[in-house]
Amino acid sequence: MTIVTHFLATTLGVQALGLEGQDKVLAYAFGMGVDIDHAVKAPFYLKAVGLRDKRGYYWRSSLQEPVALLWIIPLSFFFRSFVPVLFFLIHVAMDYSVRFEKMPFYPYSSFVTRGWLISIPDRVKEGVLFVVLLGLNAALYLNWLHV
Amino acid sequence: MFERTPGVGRAADRLQRPLIHWLHRGLGLSPAHVTWIAFGVSLAAAVVLAVGPLVSGLVVMAVAQILDGLDGGIARGFGLASEAGRRLDDRLDRASEVAIFLAFAYSGRVSVGLVVLALVAIALLTTVAARSKVDPGVKRFALYFGLWFPYSLIFTIIFLVNLAGYVVGMLVIDCRFQRVMDQLGGDLDTVASRAAALEPDAG
Repeated sequence: MTIVTHFLATTLGVQALGLEGQDKVLAYAFGMGVDIDHAVKAPFYLKAVGLRDKRGYYWRSSLQEPVALLWIIPLSFFFRSFVPVLFFLIHVAMDYSVRFEKMPFYPYSSFVTRGWLISIPDRVKEGVLFVVLLGLNAALYLNWLHV
Repeated sequence: MFERTPGVGRAADRLQRPLIHWLHRGLGLSPAHVTWIAFGVSLAAAVVLAVGPLVSGLVVMAVAQILDGLDGGIARGFGLASEAGRRLDDRLDRASEVAIFLAFAYSGRVSVGLVVLALVAIALLTTVAARSKVDPGVKRFALYFGLWFPYSLIFTIIFLVNLAGYVVGMLVIDCRFQRVMDQLGGDLDTVASRAAALEPDAG
């Protein structure tokens, strides 16, 4: 999923749960911030592909795979907050609806999967989700303005 | 103890040479014997830390850590280094940390929750440290700073540093795997599964 869709999903969660302060920061860190591993992989992309736009390059790392729960759960206990686990799971669930290859348990296992809903085209899923999330965000914001 | 910093290991060996010779040649102790003795002294340190004065416990723990450094010195000095010895050393190091950390919780110097979190972070780091070569080394050594700082702060640092070391270690391994995928090239849609098939656990 694109960073815009993750932003909309995280913002919806933040609005719906009324998160503020530390929890709001944690929500964006684990709902969107885990995508920072794309920046870690950027030098590899530049070396392998160059400045061209080449779709399908493997951008992912264990930072945004289910295996990351091994460190996110203890961190959630440390912060005494369910927010990191919840928003990370939302991020992972969205990514696993896109059909590119993923390694959920690497480096402990080299199992590869494409996730779920793979029979539906990615553009359709992303488009529908974008419209739904945008609509729900707008509805919640308007509701907040009128309260 | 110094397998990831061989330079420091060699310098330590030079300083400890007379003691290493005496333990191996004089007393006939093998590296494994010294590893077990260091573990026994660590357990004694845990008992003192749990029910006795802090300084006495830290002194016994220091003796255990010095002994823990000597096993590797004997192994390197007399050509007795082995994978089994390294594994035994790692396992007893972790067991020593469990005993000593729980002793701090028992004595009330720090909460059980924070001790468990620190142990979990160290355990996670241990699972990838050999592959990633990332280990900040902030474990028992940090406990000496309790003479000047509160133990809640020290255990928080141990937890966060080891957890960060784990995350960085995972990324290091990921970057290595990325290199394999980039070298394979071909269809990007299947490059992960093709590279995964080359991994040792792929069967």
